[in-house]
Amino acid sequence: MVASCALLSATAARGQTGRAAPGGAGLLEDWSLDSALAYYHEDGRVQAVEPVVDVSKVFADGEALSVNFTFDALSGASPNGALTSRIAQTFASPSGKSLTAGRHIYTIAPGQLPADPNYSDGRVAVGANWSVPLTRVTQASLGGKLSYEDDFYSATVNASIAHDFNDKNTTLSFGISNEFDALSPIGGAPVPGSNYASFEKTGGKTKDGVGALLGVTQVMTRRWLTEFNLSLDRFKGYENDPYKITSVIDSAGNTTGYVYESRPDQRTRKSAFWDNRVGWDTLSVAGSARYMSDDWGVRSDTAQLHLRWSLAERYIEPTVRWYRQTAADFYKPWITSTAAPVSGYESSDSRLGAFHALTYGVKYAEKLSPYRFLPSSEFNLRVEYYQQTFSERLAMPQALQGLDLYPGLKAILVQAGWRF
Amino acid sequence: MNRGMIYLSVLVVASSIASGCTVFGVKPWQRDVLARPEMQLNRDPIDAAIDDHMYFSKEASSGGRSFAGGGCGCN
Repeated sequence: MVASCALLSATAARGQTGRAAPGGAGLLEDWSLDSALAYYHEDGRVQAVEPVVDVSKVFADGEALSVNFTFDALSGASPNGALTSRIAQTFASPSGKSLTAGRHIYTIAPGQLPADPNYSDGRVAVGANWSVPLTRVTQASLGGKLSYEDDFYSATVNASIAHDFNDKNTTLSFGISNEFDALSPIGGAPVPGSNYASFEKTGGKTKDGVGALLGVTQVMTRRWLTEFNLSLDRFKGYENDPYKITSVIDSAGNTTGYVYESRPDQRTRKSAFWDNRVGWDTLSVAGSARYMSDDWGVRSDTAQLHLRWSLAERYIEPTVRWYRQTAADFYKPWITSTAAPVSGYESSDSRLGAFHALTYGVKYAEKLSPYRFLPSSEFNLRVEYYQQTFSERLAMPQALQGLDLYPGLKAILVQAGWRF
Repeated sequence: MNRGMIYLSVLVVASSIASGCTVFGVKPWQRDVLARPEMQLNRDPIDAAIDDHMYFSKEASSGGRSFAGGGCGCN
């Protein structure tokens, strides 16, 4: 979740966008703490528990330091990319070396989505950000993050600078980031496009990326603040999901085998992001829109709206988010044994397919009175429901008709937070 | 919506810079509403981080508000 670190880093460098320091007293006057415990659950698939803590301190000279910790514990059934079939299908977990024997074998019943039922993973991440005012109107920020999983290690650094103009009504910011990822997939990294049954696997792989973000923040009126960002990033290296396979079918639709996915080894993404805050007496609106495209053929649109009603010591905030994306050029839900994969690349990963998604949510927060050495604080509770629906479906061969090959995704997020 | 949104955004930003505060912006004593916590652009950084993580692991897009990338092996 370098996004969290990068987000904190990038925004910390914007002179007029920092979070307002909450009231406090005594030992913790210059400190702030933000924490949350999130539970994420997919219908019939993965679930995750994620505690997050962010501690920040503002120094007398205007410098600020923040450190954040994230833990993830995931478990459940993770789709392996193969098609649902009318006959039982047998697979091996990533550490398996045979499809006929051993404790790593699992069998999927007819009509069920193939998913590895033994999926589990854990992640620990720590990030830090330091921002320093260079002049009265210029601020620099440096950040970094380390993230560790059993099969994945990531290190990220970023730097940003922001400058205020027009009586601090306009802020221009620019940031760069560099990410290095090392993958050591369980059982080895499969050779892209290789036969699933042949277990052709190699050692660890790497991937690295650079990114740049140019932003402008503008006070429009006494009640309206707007921000516009342009970003560009490029990743090179092993871009495959080492645990995803694609079904190979004959002309009638019967599965004849599987191959590991094969993605291009580089990806360039561009995005435009527009964010707004508009406030009245008790109502404030946060509305954003994003357009993204990449050289894999994916185009996406995102729109999000938060309405916050503040009532004395509490607020309630309904949220809605709409998203849609086109499919990557090499997205193939299945491969017919007589057809060569497009451009030599293929992936059945549903995240690269064409779909739209809706998120509905609500957040409730209540202010808590100071207690002993603690300043006044906020407790909040958030619930979100997320649903993906596929928007493009290929004509299905006879043997696949009637099966749900595009099951989509339903998930719920429940989060409790406390901060001061 | 895609290109229209981008053109509109560029127009708004370019016009605000070009105007040099003659059209947009406020005086320091007019920042009462803008100073409220709910008006800050990163008012809920942990909510945004958790959402970004969820969407990064389930969709092909990331970034925009901040740098793209992931820092996790979930995509």
